[in-house]
Order: sequence, then structure tokens, then C-alpha cells
Amino acid sequence: MLSTEQPLTRTPLPLAATVPQPLPARSRRRLPLGFLLVGGILLVIVIATLGAPWLAHHDPNQQVLTARLQTPSSLYPLGTDHLGRDLLARVLYGGRSSLLLSALAVLLAAGIGVAIGALAGRVGGLFDEVTMRLVDVLIVFPSLVVALVIAALLEPSFGALLLALTITGWTIYARLARALTLDVLARPFIEAAVAAGVSEGRLLLRHVLPNISGPLLATSFLRFGHTLLTVAGLSYLGVGVQPPTPDWGAMLAEAQPYMQRLPLLLIAPALLIFLTALAVTLIGQRLTAYFDPRQR
Amino acid sequence: MQRDLLRRLVSLPLVLLLTSVVIFLLPYLTGIDPTLSIIRARIGERTIDPAAVAQLRSELGLDRNLAGQYILWVSDIVQGNLGFSFVSRAPVDEILRRGLGVTARLTVTTLTLALLLALPLGILAAQRPGSWLDTLVTVGCQAGVAIPQYVLAPLFILLFALWLGWLPSAGWRGPTFMVLPVLTLLPAPFAYFTQATRAALLDVFNADYMRTARAKGLRRPILLYRHALRNALIPVATLVTLWLAGLLGGSVIVEVIFAVPGLGRILYDAVISGDLPLLQAGLLLLVGLAIVISTLTDLLYLLLNPAMRLSQSR
Repeated sequence: MLSTEQPLTRTPLPLAATVPQPLPARSRRRLPLGFLLVGGILLVIVIATLGAPWLAHHDPNQQVLTARLQTPSSLYPLGTDHLGRDLLARVLYGGRSSLLLSALAVLLAAGIGVAIGALAGRVGGLFDEVTMRLVDVLIVFPSLVVALVIAALLEPSFGALLLALTITGWTIYARLARALTLDVLARPFIEAAVAAGVSEGRLLLRHVLPNISGPLLATSFLRFGHTLLTVAGLSYLGVGVQPPTPDWGAMLAEAQPYMQRLPLLLIAPALLIFLTALAVTLIGQRLTAYFDPRQR
Repeated sequence: MQRDLLRRLVSLPLVLLLTSVVIFLLPYLTGIDPTLSIIRARIGERTIDPAAVAQLRSELGLDRNLAGQYILWVSDIVQGNLGFSFVSRAPVDEILRRGLGVTARLTVTTLTLALLLALPLGILAAQRPGSWLDTLVTVGCQAGVAIPQYVLAPLFILLFALWLGWLPSAGWRGPTFMVLPVLTLLPAPFAYFTQATRAALLDVFNADYMRTARAKGLRRPILLYRHALRNALIPVATLVTLWLAGLLGGSVIVEVIFAVPGLGRILYDAVISGDLPLLQAGLLLLVGLAIVISTLTDLLYLLLNPAMRLSQSR
């Protein structure tokens, strides 16, 4: 029959997290297994990319032209690519650029977006109006196109990619932070803080920010997954991480002419991109649900 | 809400102005010299006569100051004169119109299919939250979101074009050429629509009026289709319009992989070859589409949601 197990709480916006309350019994039972599994996958991938020098015995850029397109063997656990480079080493090292770039881009976008969003929520007026309309349009604008234009027209580099990802990433944070800030600002303890003569900066940093950080953290996981897919997409299109630096997205593009002969060349980086994005997204969704009182 | 819309109508021109200035400044931000690009496109790698450069600069109006150039640029666009591509020398508006047609066909087909598949699945999952079907749908949706197009596309080409030989791997010469691009675009919107349908239905099921309807003893189909679904579809409808905007410009990867001559492919080529008139006009077109669609989304929301219509201000 129809679900009646959830309480009839209906709030207009996701409230900022107050004290985290224990999850209801059903969710609590479900949490550990799936969550641990997903978190474990992510941890293994991150550790494997960080520990690449110890896990792979070959240099990811060392070409052995006599050993091109080899199937897995004891010498090359995953085989070699079209230039005779060890696939295992490339797959492991290839995660570093993508993961680091995504993490930095999400941090930068979060910092800028939250600052603008919280300020818009507090100041209001024309600043609020113009920034939010800009956000409205930029959010609808396909972010890959913007990133493509920026990354391609500047010389492809780590900095250009970071800039492109930050410019396309801050809008979601701005919108979310503004909504959450407005929500927190309406609460009595803000009134008390203002009455006590707290400065504007302190009010935002010490009173508002801690109270909106939960949902922002959850969003950051979702954005990390999204950013990772964009980074790999840009590298796939040839405007991201440049060869010979190993990168998952670029490896997919390189593997394409040889995929019929050696599908593993395609499948290995594809699987890693997919698993990482999936794990991060699942964690993000779980956290979103955790911080959203409607879904408790 | 009506005041909201009014305010939006006032501030949208501001956004348009801001984005158009950024697009106008692209050549200056990136250091591509349009005169050199044009001459290179015409004469290839031969040595360039400085006098010819100067003459072309004044012909193009590039010897004026920035504000003058911007006004010239905007008035040209307003009159429908978008210029000519540096590379193919065809009129830009013609190139874009053809590309938009192709992409629109791809986008509409994908979204229609996604919606037709997502609605029944979302409804099924929402009726028994926590069941194995619901769990399967939820996890499947996560996978659909996490699997990128540039992973799916090569796999599909490998399977359907190279191994099975059923479908063409790339090109745009008939209906069969649309199958693989659509299949590649499909999973993400399908996953989002299914999730949205499920979440919205679960939300509605808990509303007071639904409890009343249940208490009246209405039969389940009537309860579901006449009472719950009508309200639950509001967020789904707005999501569909957002995806419309996203796919019209955002199917770059699919169009590049499958050699589809759509808008995304045109923009990609313009970026790679530094074809400024085409790139600027294409970006402006996307901004226009984004503004129109985000405004339409709000209007649609207003139209579908009686509560929003009744309250004078939000």
C-alpha cells in the first residue's frame, strides 16, 4: 500500500542541520553495510592512486615499443598500451591528476560560491538580485561547453582547467548557500547575536557558516563526482590533462583505436572513472538525506 | 510570484548584457587576433602583408575603441548579421540553424524516450518504498548518473557496430545513425527523471489531502493517477525543461564521438580551430536558450502549481 511511515513534516527548504539526530531504525540498519562498502571502494581507489609507485613496477611513461598491446602477463599485470606502456601503472597514476584537480576545483568553487551566496542572503537588494539572476542563467548553461571554451582557448594547463571548473562550479554553491543562509538568519539565535552587537563578519563566519556546513558538505561529494566526470570528459576531448601525463579521460581516447583488439585498454580506465563517480555520488546522496530533515 | 516574475524581466537584460560583454571580449581574453585568423584562412601559410592587415582591421571596425566595437557588434547581431565562419566561410546563422535542428531532433527523441521509460518505473518504485524493486531502481539510477557518455559511447560502438555489426558507428545519414547517440544520451536523463518521479510521488503520498482521499476510500488507481500524479509531475516537468537546455548545448561529447553535425560538434570545432564568429554566435545562442528556458521553467511552474498562482508574493 501507500507509504505512511514518514512523518508529515513539510518544510519549504532543506533546513540547516542542527544537532545531528540519530537516524530512524530502518535507515540505521541499512547505513553501515552499503555505506562501508561504498566508502571502502573509494578509499581503495584513492590509496591505490596515491600508492602507485609501490603497486606498479613500471614507469607509467616508459615506452617499450617491442612490447606493444600485450595481453596481461606476470610482467605486465594488465597488459600494455599501443606504445608499450604498462597499463596498470598508467591506470594508477592516471587517477592522480583527475582526483587532485577535481578536489581542488570543488574546494575553490565551494569557497567562492558560499561566500557569494551567504553574502547575497545577508545583504540582499541589488547585489542579491543580480548575482542570483546570473546564477539562474549559468546553472542552465551547459557547463561542459563553458569549460571547453575556457580550457581550449587558454593554453591547456592545470591552472586553465582549474579556472574552467571553478567558473562553472560556483553557481550551485551560491544558490544553496543563499537559501540555507536565509533560513538560518530567520532563527532567534541570530537575532540574539545581532542584539549582542556581533560584527557582520563574525555573524556570517561564526554563527551562519557552521550551521549551513552540513548540506554544503553533502553537496560537495555530489559535485566532486560531477567535476571528476567533467575533467575526464575534457581530457577525453583533448583539452584537459595533456599527454604523456597519464589520465583516465585521455586514456579512454587513446584506447579507442585499439579497443577491438584489446578491450581492457578501454575497460580499465572506464571502470575506475565509473566506480569513483558512483561511490562519491552515493556518499553524497546519503549525506544529503542525512542533513535533510524531510527525509529523516 | 508575479512580482518575482516582474523583477526577473527587469534583471534578465542585465544578465544578457553581462554575458554578451564577456562573449564579445573573448578574442581579447584569449589573444586570438581575428584579422590574422581571417588572412591565414584565406592565404594559408604565406607571408602576410602588414598593409593588408591594417586595411582589414579598418574594414572590420577593429581600429575603433572597445565600446565602439561592442556597439558595432551588437547592432550587427540585432540586425541578424552574424558574420561568416573563418574556416568554412559560410554564413554563421545558417551553420547554427542547421546544427540546432540536428541537436534538437536528438534532444527531443532522447527526452521523450527517457520520460516514457522513467514515469512508469518511478511510479512502480514509489508505490513500495524499500522493496527490492525500489532498491534496484534507486541503485540503477545512481549508476545511470555516474556512467559518463564517453565511457558508454565506445562500449556501444564496440558492441553494436564492431562486434555485432547492427548499427553504423558514426555519421549522420539516416534514422539508424541516431540510435547509438540516443542510447548514449539516454541513461542520465532517464535516471534523473525516474528519481524525481519517485521522490515527488513519495512526497505527495504524505500530504494531508492524500490522507483525506485515502480515508474517503478512493480506489488506488484514482488515488494515484488523479490525485497524486498530477501534483507529483510538477517538479518532473521543470526538470525536463532544464534537461532540454542542458542537452541542446551539452551533447558535445556524443556529437564529437558519433560525428553528428549538431550544435555541440559545431561549437567544439569552432573552439579547436579558433573560429571566433561562429564561437561567439554559438555561445550567444546558448545564453539566449538558457535565459528563455529558465524563464519558461518558472512560468511552467506557475502554470502547473495552483498554490503559487493564488499567493500574491512568495
